[in-house]
Amino acid sequence: MAEQEYLMGNEAMGRGAIEAGVKVVAGYPGTPASEVLEYVSKYPDVHAEWCINEKVALEICMGASLCNVRSMAVMKHNGTNVALDFMMHLNYTGVRGGLVLISGDDPAGISSQNEEDSRIITRLDAHLPVFDPWCPQEAKDMVKAAFDLSEEMELCFVVRPVARVCHGRSMVSLEEIKKGGESHFEDDRSRFIMSALMEVKDGAALNRPVVRHRWLNQKQAVLAKVMEESPFNHIEDGEGKIGLVACGIGYAFVKEAEKILGKKFPVLKLGTLPLPRNKVLQFAKKMDRLVVYEDSEAVVEGILKQLFYDEGLKVEVVGRSGFLPSEGELSATIAVKSLVELYPELEKKMPATVPLEMKVPIRTRTQCVGCQYRGLLHALKLTARKYKGVVTGDIGCYDAGSFPPLELQSTIYCMGSSIPMASGIAHSGYDRPVFAIIGDSTFFHNGVLGLLNAIHSGVDLVAIVCDNRTTAMTGFQPHPGSEINVRGEPAPAIDVARLATAAGATSARVVNPYDIPQCKEALEKAVKEKGVSVIVATMPCYLVARRTGELGFTPRKVVLDEERCNGCKICVTFFGCPAIHFSEGKATIDYGTCVECGMCVEVCKRGAITWS
Amino acid sequence: MELNILIAGVGGQGNLFASSILAEYVLKKGYKVFAVETIGAAQRGGSVVSHLRISDAEIYSPLILAGKVDILMGFETIEMLRNFELLAGDGIYLLNDYKEPTVLCNMEMDAYPSDEEIRAALKKSGKKGYIIKATECARKIGGSLLTNVVMVGALCQVSSPFDSQEVKQVLAGKSPARAKEQNLQAFDAGGSLIQEAMRKA
Ligand SMILES: Cc1ncc(C[n+]2csc(CCOP(=O)(O)OP(=O)(O)O)c2C)c(N)n1
Ligand code: SF4
Ligand code: SF4
Ligand code: SF4
Repeated sequence: MAEQEYLMGNEAMGRGAIEAGVKVVAGYPGTPASEVLEYVSKYPDVHAEWCINEKVALEICMGASLCNVRSMAVMKHNGTNVALDFMMHLNYTGVRGGLVLISGDDPAGISSQNEEDSRIITRLDAHLPVFDPWCPQEAKDMVKAAFDLSEEMELCFVVRPVARVCHGRSMVSLEEIKKGGESHFEDDRSRFIMSALMEVKDGAALNRPVVRHRWLNQKQAVLAKVMEESPFNHIEDGEGKIGLVACGIGYAFVKEAEKILGKKFPVLKLGTLPLPRNKVLQFAKKMDRLVVYEDSEAVVEGILKQLFYDEGLKVEVVGRSGFLPSEGELSATIAVKSLVELYPELEKKMPATVPLEMKVPIRTRTQCVGCQYRGLLHALKLTARKYKGVVTGDIGCYDAGSFPPLELQSTIYCMGSSIPMASGIAHSGYDRPVFAIIGDSTFFHNGVLGLLNAIHSGVDLVAIVCDNRTTAMTGFQPHPGSEINVRGEPAPAIDVARLATAAGATSARVVNPYDIPQCKEALEKAVKEKGVSVIVATMPCYLVARRTGELGFTPRKVVLDEERCNGCKICVTFFGCPAIHFSEGKATIDYGTCVECGMCVEVCKRGAITWS
Repeated sequence: MELNILIAGVGGQGNLFASSILAEYVLKKGYKVFAVETIGAAQRGGSVVSHLRISDAEIYSPLILAGKVDILMGFETIEMLRNFELLAGDGIYLLNDYKEPTVLCNMEMDAYPSDEEIRAALKKSGKKGYIIKATECARKIGGSLLTNVVMVGALCQVSSPFDSQEVKQVLAGKSPARAKEQNLQAFDAGGSLIQEAMRKA
């Protein structure tokens, strides 16, 4: 038996790339995909890099591919959106060395600001081939196959795992590691210059984009043939005339449902786009109805409907467009329920569930106890409330400032939106101060462009950069402001305050986010200035600092004087350190969780909390 | 044989370490394993749920079906209650009597259920289970971070195919040197706690 290892789906994909001889791996962190890059970074012969953003990562990979080496880009679905512009060109030129794009989707948005099906932009928009794995082993096999096919077909291949595949852990077989090719570059301007340029093709004058678009379209016929033979698609016979089309993780849930219901259904397992047309038709011809299980949009369902229309085939197709829920993630429970609806006699096989007769409070995310941001957010909240200003937000740990109890930021969209949206509010004629708060990784990702734009536009606003030297939210990956790279080796760090100054910000004040009075003072000054004032709140993430011993405060016990506490609740409802509890009209410190940062001493204006 | 274990807790309680000890043990025994955790809000006081599926046959779904959880381990009280509906008719729960208030509870905008309410609802459910003070015990040994190990020690007394002595060896092998001693102590303490709870029941 081949050697096996208990791996997470992301590690399995990383391993697949290593076995395929990958040489350059570039990405930007994002749940659910981050561990793919972290895994490959353990191999010293591979260039692994956390980039400034996903577009840059894909561009780096294409550069490597031009030199005939294998490369892989790693990102989450939101990042694939960011990389789309470049992707819409690389699909026209095609690749040389195998190029695989891992686009991790997060149906149900468990760790994301939206739920999105990246098969839509990668396949329906960019016309790239897409593999959709159902388990860690298949994810690994798909990555390897994608590298070989990418080179053969000269196209970037996309592997689109959903979060449950990325984070799923099971035994995965290990195979031999192939040695990657050597870098060599050859010019081909007829291909790698994408521009509006007339050329003569087949006797006619055509614009370059049309020529390359035609090339891409012609590739589709070859791709269709490849997918027909792909091991990632197969048919399973079963009882009845209702066929279950199980795409990606949908296969896991359909197979589980068969086990629970004790019935073998006809199953068409699909893992590729384009679909294996003949296989699909062969399966569909024997059926009256098809139910498509896919995460998370009705992509395959739509393609099937189109295909059957063209073929004049009368088969009903249902799925995520209505029969199954159109939002959220699929599950085995959903698959079982849907099958019981189709076969009511199976209802008795459905596992019984007994709801607990009790209301269970929801748990919202907040900053860690001891997080450096809590002081900064408190100061910003005091200032914003005082001037009745608006605060726009961005993505990262500090975004929890928009939930109770802080309720500070008024907007959260995608990475880098805070400063441009603040500019828009100010340019609309809004007559109160406008603040934008953004994390350092998010600032570099593309927030910096919003800042440069704001400065040039002459707007008045205050931009606060939360400089914790890491991408904390997604698991502490370095970024261009960090002093280390993915391997922990020293790397040149870019200084946000100097950058802002060089760009012409009115001011760039560096503050300690634990120091509430200092933050307040800087904000007070900034509010009164014209132009764009930048405040850089610099302090390593508390969780990282706790490990490295670089704490931004000297831990010292705090005590709460019950006599002095008047029960105003400011410490819990306005400031909100989770280590402060409230009961019977008084605040109390939970010494089990308090980390002795002392910020609450400043917060309680009655002096009820003091250093011991 | 199929065994589905669900671990429900809050960020920082070490679900993953608990799950990987159990997984490593059953993998050694030749079972198939498919596990998954919800990560994302892990560090910032969010809910964390780990699914661990063990079987001698092929396992397809990484997520346990509603009504198919054989053992529900609650590292935190309301996190277990939140997932209680997933428990199978003959499933058992193993609750750490530890409460981490939510932000809204702290603000008194939500009420953390009282012990009486919880016990009444659990009783009414008719499900079998045990409540132990794992975090309290962990703190005595060396810190609340040992809660997961105490819980694993307890689990090994109530569920096959886990053999306490053998799982302990896996734990020893997976523990960093500086934590080994305390981990093993916590594991044993979990076993004693549950035995006491079983005697009382
Ligand atoms: C386009 C895009 N890529 C990746 C992500 C995943 N993601 C969420 S927050 C975040 C960055 C957080 O880093 P930072 O801004 O430094 O804030 P911190 O969490 O460190 O406070 C990332 C990468 C995303 N949401 N969108
Ligand atoms: S991980 Fe770091 S930055 Fe994020 S909330 Fe915790 S302490 Fe703050
Ligand atoms: S400790 Fe201070 S801030 Fe908190 S409730 Fe008492 S008086 Fe108010
Ligand atoms: S010192 Fe105050 S603010 Fe800091 S962790 Fe303890 S209770 Fe929270």
